[in-house]
Formats: sequence, structure tokens, C-alpha cells
Amino acid sequence: MTAVRASAPWSIAVLGVAALVAAPWLIGEGAQRFLSEAMLMLAMAQMWNLLAGYAGLVSMGQQVFVGLGAYCLFFSSIWLKVAPFWVLPLAPLLCAVVAAIVALFMFRLREAYFAIGTWVFSEVVSLMISKTERLGGERGVGLPTARLVDPRWLEPLTFWTSAAIALASVFGTYALLRSRVGLGLMTVRDNEVAAASIGVDVWRNRFIAFVIAAAGCGIAGAVSFTAALYVAPGFAFDPNWVVAMMIIVIIGGIGTLEGPILGVIIYFALREALTVVFGLSAGWYLIGLGTVAIAAILFEPDGLWPLVRGRLGGDWLSVRREPPTSGWIAAATPAAEGVRSSPSGLGTTPSDR
Amino acid sequence: MIWVETIVNGILYGGLYGLLGVGLALIVGVMRVVNLSHGEFIVLSAFLGVSLVGVFPWLHPLALILPVAVIAFGLGVALQAVLINRVVTRPDPFAGILLTFGVAVVMRNLMVEIYGADLRHLQAGQLAQASTGVGALHVGVLPLLILALSVALFTALQLLLTRTRFGRIVRATADHRDVVRLMGVNPGRVYNLVMGLSLALASVAGMLLAIRASFSPYSGVERLLVSFEVVVLGGLGTFWGAMLGGIALGVAELVGLRLDPNAGPLYAHLLFLVGVLLRPNGLFRVRT
Amino acid sequence: MTLLEVQALDAFYGDFQALFGVTLHVDAGETVALIGANGAGKTTFLKSLVGLIDRRRGEIRFAGDPITGEPAERISRLGMSLVPEGRLLFPSLTVEENLLMGGLNRRPGAWNLARVYELFPILRERRRQSPNALSGGQQHMVAIGRALMSNPKLLLCDEISLGLAPLVVDQIYESLGRIRAEGAAIVLVEQDVKRAAGAADRVYCLLKGRVTLHGPARGLGLEQLSHAYFGT
Repeated sequence: MTAVRASAPWSIAVLGVAALVAAPWLIGEGAQRFLSEAMLMLAMAQMWNLLAGYAGLVSMGQQVFVGLGAYCLFFSSIWLKVAPFWVLPLAPLLCAVVAAIVALFMFRLREAYFAIGTWVFSEVVSLMISKTERLGGERGVGLPTARLVDPRWLEPLTFWTSAAIALASVFGTYALLRSRVGLGLMTVRDNEVAAASIGVDVWRNRFIAFVIAAAGCGIAGAVSFTAALYVAPGFAFDPNWVVAMMIIVIIGGIGTLEGPILGVIIYFALREALTVVFGLSAGWYLIGLGTVAIAAILFEPDGLWPLVRGRLGGDWLSVRREPPTSGWIAAATPAAEGVRSSPSGLGTTPSDR
Repeated sequence: MIWVETIVNGILYGGLYGLLGVGLALIVGVMRVVNLSHGEFIVLSAFLGVSLVGVFPWLHPLALILPVAVIAFGLGVALQAVLINRVVTRPDPFAGILLTFGVAVVMRNLMVEIYGADLRHLQAGQLAQASTGVGALHVGVLPLLILALSVALFTALQLLLTRTRFGRIVRATADHRDVVRLMGVNPGRVYNLVMGLSLALASVAGMLLAIRASFSPYSGVERLLVSFEVVVLGGLGTFWGAMLGGIALGVAELVGLRLDPNAGPLYAHLLFLVGVLLRPNGLFRVRT
Repeated sequence: MTLLEVQALDAFYGDFQALFGVTLHVDAGETVALIGANGAGKTTFLKSLVGLIDRRRGEIRFAGDPITGEPAERISRLGMSLVPEGRLLFPSLTVEENLLMGGLNRRPGAWNLARVYELFPILRERRRQSPNALSGGQQHMVAIGRALMSNPKLLLCDEISLGLAPLVVDQIYESLGRIRAEGAAIVLVEQDVKRAAGAADRVYCLLKGRVTLHGPARGLGLEQLSHAYFGT
């Protein structure tokens, strides 16, 4: 019985990957582009969720890594005269280094001050690039080296890369959270003082999360702008990137891995409904989403995933650790019922995940 | 001479930045919430000013400051009563900023839909160009007026908080939200009034800024960042610190612009980042 | 005349129940001691009385008025004043401003700023200072004075001897005598059993949220008290 059950998720996974590989032959370019955008957005949302939902860091400047990733890719591709996909790994690398340096002084700020401090940093980077003619200045640059890629493969490559990034963001985060670093992060999220008192290195755990999130946003930004074939400071460092990340995570369910997936679905569904079906301009869908996000914070701070989870009969990707069920350790461990730790981010109850 | 004038002008506009920030400082000090829609309300006030100028074209924009401030006060009370009061008591420190961030997104895009994305300006006519000689310096009349108004408002706020019964109640509520209930004070109502006051102050700054510089619905972000930098540089919770922080930023920005005309607010932001690096608790003494 | 009547009071912090069926009464003008170990529920009880606990069950009547579900702001006008555990003075206000805050809900009566300064002369000297500059005992005086400013019929004192030297505690308790002389009833919550029982007319003892002992202050045996206090 268990053997059959255990193989079910695996067969779904294999089917899923097969579908993704086959997709460019099955669906049109428009659909591919739409899905690429959605998958990249999922990756970015997972990164923001890693920071806010697990590391307790609300970053409102995350767009700086989206932009830096894009600029890194564009200029390494242009200067090295190489097709963009070959230099893709440089984007997360640069972002990780920048994040490591930024963390050194941004981590002195707490909570809201960290949030806005990162935003200021993003504006500084944006302004500096705007002033630098070699980097395209305010007008930005195109991507002539895209011509080095066979045009028939451009869209599929973008699609597959986006899919890979999205999968890596979800399962990478899952792996991270089930590791020691992840355990450390979650203790810090739940109760910073208690975590520190049992020897969890708060600073180091947050640092790792911040660097990883920067790299994730960097590579997602790089691919996103490669698909657009154009980058400019106004778009690259647009706060609307982090607005989207935040809205997706808040509506979907912060501090869970499934939440951002649900959030992305809702985000794009709402966007398409409002712009395509109702023909409203882009501003209106942001107004709509903003309103939903406000409602979420007021009434369902844990997002919609906890509500949906019940109906679906359980978690897809739980990072909860079960206490041992066999042997003398189980006998010695008292039942954990009714144990509640102190309140953590955004009204979440840690015992639920 | 040019440099001295630049610095003097920086000081004068710095007063304005201080005014932008003091409303935010008030909120942070009293209810520990950073209102991320602060910038949007600043810009909204400017748009309200523009609308009112359309309705009363014979009135000078400066005369409209008071009615706009009154409207802003009302909006602040409503914002607090309907939305923010619901999250103030939550233990989570981020609920407030996420909520106000949502409000900012909605407001920004609503303003785009209603007013359009173009840059606007509040015309102050002759006053904007007039300058007067102070010793050997040429100083704009408008900036001098703005500085005078800023100082007056700062002083009034300080007096309100330290010398009146209301101020006492506000400070006590900021200290211990629950204990004041034992004395019959409803903290929610105190917060409503404080938010109203915060936005009224912000609206004055918003109108004055709109006379000096053009604005669009997207200007809120920049206004928010400046306000925030003023609050942090000044030392969270002090008001005269906010004024000095504003002046530091104003000088940095104008001096920077003279050296580097394309810089925009870059040098102000850099000053902030350096300040954070060196003294995360603010450049000036922090009030307990 | 019964001033305060509490019947079968349950109190909760979220899902956690802190008080179980507490029944107690205080008559006008009398002093009642409420003793018990740390965590017994004494502070929770006082907070329930003044309306600071959200979830309460049971009945509380003050001067005949039912106040069980009422919010703290409304209860504060009725004539009950709390000297909170840990004093909880307002650090951003001066000593005098702290006292004035207590007077926001002034009812007619003997106590005003001048009388409080008479009771605690050291406070007049330090009235423009921040409470942080005062010693522990002086801070307790400010807390008591602040509670007195509203002229309460019932003064609730939560651990006013905590952390103070015995001489200072003597001073504080002496002032209680004068407060009592003006007609106020007092509930004294203390861990120091001797002190509390010595100053009170009647004693209640709490253990894990339940009343384990109730009787006149005089004639309480040590063994009886231990049993009720520790549950041994």
C-alpha cells in the first residue's frame, strides 16, 4: 500500500517535467511567453517569501537584484560577445556578492527600517546606472547578442530556463528549509531571542537567506529581461517588481511553500480577467490586487493557502518536522499538543506548518 | 559665493524636508508604525491643491494650504480608524507596513487613473521667482517663507506635545497603550487624531513642495523615501532631529546637484546610507 | 455595604485559562489582602477587574453595577483604580504629568495634586523629573499617587512592596493607612504574606487560579496558610 502511495508523487513529478519539456511544441509562442513570465514571477515570489516568511526580513528593495541580474546579463553578454544564455550564471553570482556586501550595513537596521533601507539602496543603484552612459544611461540598452541565438529556439529556451528557475526556487527553498540552516531560520522567525539563547546564529542564518534570495531574484530578472530584449533603469529597478512579489505572497500565504504558487495563480488570473476580459487599463488591476492584499492583511493574514489546504486534504510541500514515532525517544518526548510558540510574522501560527 | 548660496538654499529647502518627515516621525514615535502611504498622501495633497486651484482660480495656492490640510486631517483620521487601528495591536511588526504599502499601491494607481500620469506643477506666480538680498546673498523669498512656515509648524507641534493636555495624553499613549485605558483614554481615538495631524503636516509640505518642483502620481515614492530618511537620520522619535536631518539632506541634495546635475536625489540617498553605516541610531541624540 | 462582588470568575489569555471560578467580595472601606505565589493568578485577577482581560466569564459587580464585559475605558470612570505591577509609569512624562494623567477621570473627593504631594513630599521636589530618575520606592509612590488622583472608592495595589527595602515598604504601607482613613477600600496583592495579612481585614489566597483560602486576617495559622499558598 505504501509503495503505491509513495510512487504517486514521483509519477506526477515525471509527468510534470515531461509536460514542461514538450510544451514549446504543444503551445504557441504567446502562451509560452505568458507561462515564462508567470514562472519567473513564482521564483521571485518564493525568494521574497523566503525572506519575509522564513527569515523575518521584509525587503522592499528586492527589485535591485532583479535589475542587477538583468544588467549583469546584458553587459556580460554584450562585452564578451556571447549569446545571453551562456552568461546566465553570472547574474546570480553578482547579486550574491552585492547582497553579501549590502547585508553588512543593512542588517544594522531592524524591521521597517531594513525594509525601506533596502529600497533606498535600490534607488541609489538605479540613479547611478541612469547617470552612467557606458551602461546605457536613462534610456537603457537593447540586446544585440540575442541574434547569436537561433530565433526558433529563443522562446523555448526562455521557457525552459524559466521553468527550471521556478522549479529550483520551489524545491531549492524546500531543501534549504529542511536543512539545518532552514531549521535555524524557522526558530529565528518564531522567537528570535529564544533562538539566540540556544545558540542559533541569527545573523548568519539571515545572511544566507538574504544572499540566496538575491541570487534567485537576479537570475529571474536576467531571464525576464532577456525575453524582453531591452533593459532600462526605470523598468529594471521598478518597485512594482517587489509590489508584485509582496502581493503574491500575502494573498497566497506567507511562510508556506505552496502559498506563492497559489498567489501566482491568483495574481495572473486576476490580471488577465481585469485587462483582457474587462478591458481595463493596467492600473486597475494593480488597484484590484492592492485592495485584495489589504483585505488579506486585515482578515486573512496567513493568506489563502491555509484555507485551501483543508479542502485539498493536506500539504503538498510541508517543511514541518515530525517528532520521532518509534523507540525510547518517543517514549521520553511528551506529546506536543497545545504547544504554541510566541507570535511570529503576520499572524501565522508556526504549529500549522 | 555660489556655494554659500547653494548651501543656504539647501538649508531653506531642508526645512521643507524636515516638515515632510516630521509627520512620519510622529506616527513612528506614537504607534510604531511606518506609514508607507505617507508619500502618496503628500502627492494627493498636491493634486487636491491643483483641483482646488481649478475651482478657485482667483485664490493663490498658498491660501489653499489650510483647506487642503483640513481635508488631509480628515483622511488621516479615516485611514487610521478604518484600517490601521485594526493592525496596531497585533504583535507582528510588519502588518502595519504591509497594510500601508497596499494602501500606497492602490492610491498611486488610482491617482494615475483619475489625474493622469503627467507631471504637474502648482503655480505660485510672482512669489516663486522673487528673491531678496540678505547681506551679499540672493535668497529666494519663497524658500524663506517655506523655512519660516516649517519652523513655525515644528514649534507648534512641539508645544502641542509638551504643553497641552492632549500632548500629554499622546505621549502617555505612546508609552503604554494599555495603561492609559485605565485612565479613560481610548488609544484608538488618540491614534486617529495623531494620524490626522501627521497627514495634515504632510499635506502642507506636499503643497509647498509642489510649488517648488513638479510632481506626478509616481512622486510619492521619492517623497516617502525622503521622509523616511529624515526620520532615521534625525534619530527616531526626535522632532528637532528631524528638522536637522532634513536640512542635512537638503544641503546634500543641492550641493550634489551643483556638482552633478543629473544626480536627482542621489546624494541625499548616499548621505542616508553613510549615516546608517556610521550611526544606525541617527545622527542626533535619540529620545528615550 | 458590598462594594465589589465577584462571582465564579473565569479568565483566559487566548486559549489558556488563568482563573477558575474565583469568588470574592470587598466591602466599602475595608482592606482585603490577596496573596499567592508567582503565577497564581493575582495580577490576572486585578486586570480582569479593571477590564484589561479580553476573555472573561462570570459576574463582576462594582457598587451594584455589572461590569463583566465592559472595556477598561468605561470601567475607569466608576471609581476603581489600579496601581499596576511593575508600576508602569509613563517615562516620557514628568512625575507631575504622570500624576495629572491619573486625574483625567477625576471624581469628586479628597485627593488632588496638592494632597498627593502632602502624602509623598519627596515627589513635590522631583515633580519635573522623569520617573526614570527616581528610586524604586519613589516610583511606587508616583504609581500610588497616580491611582489616587481619580479619587477611587476602591484602590487595587499590585505588589507595591516588590523589590523595595523594608524601611521603604514601611513608608508605603504607612501611606496606605492614610489612604484608608479617607475612606477608600483597598485590595492588596502581595507575595509577602506577613505584610499583607498585617495590613488587611480579610485575606484570600490564590493557587493556580483558584481561591484556596478565605478568612479574617487575624487568626490565620501558619500551617493553614502554607497549605493554601503552596498547595502542599
